[in-house]
Amino acid sequence: MSVSRIALGAFLLSLATPAFAADDIIIGAIYPLTGNGAQVGLDAKAAYEVEADIINGTHPKIPMLMGEGGGLKNLGGAHIKLVFADSQGDPQKARAEAERLITQEHVVAIVGSYTSATAATISQVTDRYEIPYMSADNSSPSLNQRGLKWFFRTSPHDEMFSAAMFGFFKDIGAKTGKPVKSVALFYEDSIFGTDSSNVQRKLAGAAGLTVAADIKYRANSPSLSSEAQRLKAADADVILPSSYTSDALSIVRSMNEIAYKPKAIVAQAAGFQESGFLTGAGPLAEGILSRSSFAGDAIKARPAIVPVQELFKAKQNKSLNDNTSREITALQILADAINRSGTGKPADIRTALIATDVKGIDTIMPWVGVKFDETGQNIEGTPVIQQVKDGTYVTVWPFDVATTDAVWMK
Amino acid sequence: MAGSILGHNSIQRRRRLELIVGLIVLAGLCLLPLVVKDVYTQNLIILTILYAGLAQAWNILGGYCGQVSLGHALYFGIGAYVSTMLYVKLGIPPTLGMFAGGLVGGLFALLVGWPCFRLSGHYYAIATVVVGEIGYLLFLNWDFIGGASGINIPFKHESLVELQFRVTKVPWLYLVIAYAGLAWIIAWIIEGSRWGYSWRAVKDDVTAARSLAVRVFPSKMAAAAISGCLTGIGGAIFAQFVGYIDPDSIMSGNLSILIALPAVLGGVGTLWGPLVGSALLIPLKELSSSYLGSSGSGLDLMIYGALIVLIALARPQGLISLLGLFRKPEGAR
Repeated sequence: MSVSRIALGAFLLSLATPAFAADDIIIGAIYPLTGNGAQVGLDAKAAYEVEADIINGTHPKIPMLMGEGGGLKNLGGAHIKLVFADSQGDPQKARAEAERLITQEHVVAIVGSYTSATAATISQVTDRYEIPYMSADNSSPSLNQRGLKWFFRTSPHDEMFSAAMFGFFKDIGAKTGKPVKSVALFYEDSIFGTDSSNVQRKLAGAAGLTVAADIKYRANSPSLSSEAQRLKAADADVILPSSYTSDALSIVRSMNEIAYKPKAIVAQAAGFQESGFLTGAGPLAEGILSRSSFAGDAIKARPAIVPVQELFKAKQNKSLNDNTSREITALQILADAINRSGTGKPADIRTALIATDVKGIDTIMPWVGVKFDETGQNIEGTPVIQQVKDGTYVTVWPFDVATTDAVWMK
Repeated sequence: MAGSILGHNSIQRRRRLELIVGLIVLAGLCLLPLVVKDVYTQNLIILTILYAGLAQAWNILGGYCGQVSLGHALYFGIGAYVSTMLYVKLGIPPTLGMFAGGLVGGLFALLVGWPCFRLSGHYYAIATVVVGEIGYLLFLNWDFIGGASGINIPFKHESLVELQFRVTKVPWLYLVIAYAGLAWIIAWIIEGSRWGYSWRAVKDDVTAARSLAVRVFPSKMAAAAISGCLTGIGGAIFAQFVGYIDPDSIMSGNLSILIALPAVLGGVGTLWGPLVGSALLIPLKELSSSYLGSSGSGLDLMIYGALIVLIALARPQGLISLLGLFRKPEGAR
């Protein structure tokens, strides 16, 4: 074969591929895919894959940011490619995997990571290697207070969540004439429960509310009946539980066994928002309130929820929840920033992220919007309060996105 | 008489040979950074060598002295917390703090040993599990040391004294080599010392040992102190390496198993068992989860578990028994 024929072949080959065959943009995702948090991690994986398909694929336009499909326009239609890594919920492992994704897979950003302990080490690594870390679902308030330059969090953190609860108390008290005077704190002893209770204790003090009981319990306790007795004895206006699924079920059942019907329960999401809790507790769950960052029923205010919900259901055979909705939104915001960066280089992505100003209507979240402060925290990620009615959560606060009125202290 | 002198000489010769092999291995490890440039593999090697040191520390008590401890995460965690608290709260660099961590770790091993060494065999092992769990719960609920939220070690600047390195792994590699080397040489010294013989006697038969005037309780305590101290130093290094500690990741029962496992698989009460065990176990665990774990199928854990079972079935005396060269010292069983 002569040189000219090879050249011709090469020329024809170059015609066959698009002139600007844009390289894929590779994003790492670190989650517990085995071990304790595996189910949450696998749901997260599905959520990210759904959002990547929305960004990359061809489909009728979904009414939200990055909803038209066809890849990243400013990067010649480059596709988002996801690389997943298993943290096993272990901070050491998460750190090593972050380094692997950066040095071997050449990711331009990392999203993660469910547990706050793994986020602590991943975001240290991303800061050292100078690539953005997008926290989709880590709720520890301390994470963005560490002076990191490459840390961004679309999700509200626990302080914002608890502040929403106390905002709700104020509003509902004024509306119904039944104000909250006392609260009972009930929380598990891991990082989630202790952080949550610390904030609630502080906010209760600031709002002038009495803390009638302050009960810390061992996570995954075989029995919570003595704790239920203490809650009954305190009989606060509102019980504020921070619990995972099995403990949430256990305390609700224990209170029922001693015939104690609390005036109101306002949960720090987690276990109380899980479908396992709702089916397990059945009628006992009715009327329980919980904070949430997602309002799946607010389909009028957020028209993109229906099509995204359908795609997610088709993939994972369950509805979007508090976590998966936040994960979809995190990747959406990150992809938008990568698109706006124009280069797909980490430094430009960071600049684009800092300039982010997305309205809530362009997402599936009930938030005011997405706008990062100088610590990388989204200051417009306003949570909602939901209540169980007929076995599902419906949004009752803030009143402008609420789909129904709250049943309050009956 | 002549026979025993000959035996003594052959032991001396073998010990000298082991020392030479040890030095060759050490030199080989020190050359690694010249060959391995990839950060992920460096991470893997650092963990492997760190666990080799930890398993050797465990081996001193669990192997030579025969006191099977399943609560070593306690000393590991204490070492990690002491050095981290000294650094974060008082600014004392971890290069000093790790020795403080080791000291406190050793002290706690003595505190735990005082009541627990009155138990023997299985009862002792169970007691260490319980003590480890108590330690975990105390740390989880102790707000002064960060409780469940853990402690974050912020990165301020590149510093050798403070063990702060932005991306390079090479200093860590040398640090863990020094650590595992220290653990190895201590084990080597013990093996040939009067202590080593007393401990092995305690392991083999307490009554017989006592009849030969071996002081059983002090022997156990000495082994525990050395083992706890070395484990504490390892914990301090690990904390600084990871940059974040919380009771879940450094004081859980899982970790106690992971410290003991390389020694058990490699060969309990042998000089090389812990090193061989971790050289196999840690890369297997890390690589399988990195490259198979992302599917979420749990395949990596099955392979890891199956291999442990296989090794335990095929070589119950430990992998090291495959190599005739590194036999246990004569007189030991």
